[in-house]
Amino acid sequence: MAHGLAMDQAAWTSPWRTRSVRDKAVLTLGLLLAAVTLPPVPGGVAVASVSLALLLGPIRVGLTRLWRISWLPLLSILIGVATVAVSPTWDAGPGLEVTPAGSAMAAALAVRAVAATLAMFTLACSTPIVDLFAALRRAHVPDPLIEIGSLIYRFTVGLLESAAAIHDAQVARLGYATRSAAMRSASMGVAVLFVRSWDRARRLEAGLSGRGYDDRLCTLEPDRVRSGRFLAGSIALLAVLTGTSVAWAVLR
Amino acid sequence: MHIAEGFLPITDCVVWYALSAPFVVHGARQVIKQSKEDPESRLLLAAAGAFTFVLSSIKLPSVTGSSSHPTGTGLGAVLFRPPVMAFLSTIVLIFQALLLAHGGITTLGANVFSMGIAGPWVGYTCWRLSSRLGWNQNVGVFSALAFADLSTYVVTSVQLGIAFPDPVSGLLGSVAKFMSIFAISQIPLAIAEGILGVLVFRLLTDVARPELERLGVIKTAEHAKTGA
Repeated sequence: MAHGLAMDQAAWTSPWRTRSVRDKAVLTLGLLLAAVTLPPVPGGVAVASVSLALLLGPIRVGLTRLWRISWLPLLSILIGVATVAVSPTWDAGPGLEVTPAGSAMAAALAVRAVAATLAMFTLACSTPIVDLFAALRRAHVPDPLIEIGSLIYRFTVGLLESAAAIHDAQVARLGYATRSAAMRSASMGVAVLFVRSWDRARRLEAGLSGRGYDDRLCTLEPDRVRSGRFLAGSIALLAVLTGTSVAWAVLR
Repeated sequence: MHIAEGFLPITDCVVWYALSAPFVVHGARQVIKQSKEDPESRLLLAAAGAFTFVLSSIKLPSVTGSSSHPTGTGLGAVLFRPPVMAFLSTIVLIFQALLLAHGGITTLGANVFSMGIAGPWVGYTCWRLSSRLGWNQNVGVFSALAFADLSTYVVTSVQLGIAFPDPVSGLLGSVAKFMSIFAISQIPLAIAEGILGVLVFRLLTDVARPELERLGVIKTAEHAKTGA
């Protein structure tokens, strides 16, 4: 879970946290769209480079934290890309082969997936989930849906701590020393976790109803900086990325 | 094991978003209706969503010696019905993308379809079928969770197969290729999730019977006596 907490911590401490969600969403969604629509070279490479520069520059994720956040998704991409690269053959019995077409598809996929992942990080590492919910509320998404989403987030944070504590305690008692012990420990951990989440929900409900909770949990929201220059800069950046890709394709 | 960010071509992203959207909107309407009729259920729904999220972070041993994680949607489908799980799974998948970098925003539609729609509906069908046939409750819970897990990964394999048809063996070869890779960890994992589900459900009937009765998952003692 370390990389997950690292992403959340990065979002809460990022200098871009004070920026408006609208501004950041335009930039991130634009980069994501560019990553999946433009050709891998130069479009995908450019999106990956820009996203990396933003993460290490103004978003201030830091190289160590960025590695902690990205190694798992990169590993996942690597496994997926390797699967796409190989083809099953039946000519001389079942086997695997790497074809030029498969390799080309895998290379393009690797660039696109890395570029899109880094682009997604620009939002995830600069915007805590609570800020997204506040933005959705301002966008008139129905209150009950926002409430359930934000309650899931609140419960999740507590339950992750419980899950880690349960797991650590079980490991200390050699609960994962053998396969059968691991199965037993995992099932007990899951059962305890479900009962705890149920119990916490009940206690929270009792506490909130005593305070007159009806349909929304309002909290104070700090002012967010809406910047026309930031928005214009984002759109200009995306236009340059698209223009460069198109020009590259035409001039080649 | 969700499809990673940027993994699908743009056409596939749009198609899977379009296919998932009606289910998610219907689920959201059900959630709004349910929370208006029974405000207490809002917190239980949130607890179920959080549980689904955390369950997917618990590593289980698998046959390859590596570890993998359950989907957790089968139990939710039995407790809250599949339409609600479509909405809850969407929130959970957004959280997993933004907090854990599992899955992604561009692949959200495809992941919602496999984990939030196909999995819960298959699991719920197994549960209902088992009840209709009068099978033991444990069999119903086991099949609901195991098949919800398996169907999620079958659909994921089909989605990847469509996106990346194999240059040699075509679409079917590609689907078979992804399925066989998933099968190494997912078949034992689905069985493990089914067994876990039975244990959790037994515990729940002991400690949270009133809630399960209120949700209509198990019959009340009075109904059980009259056979209604």
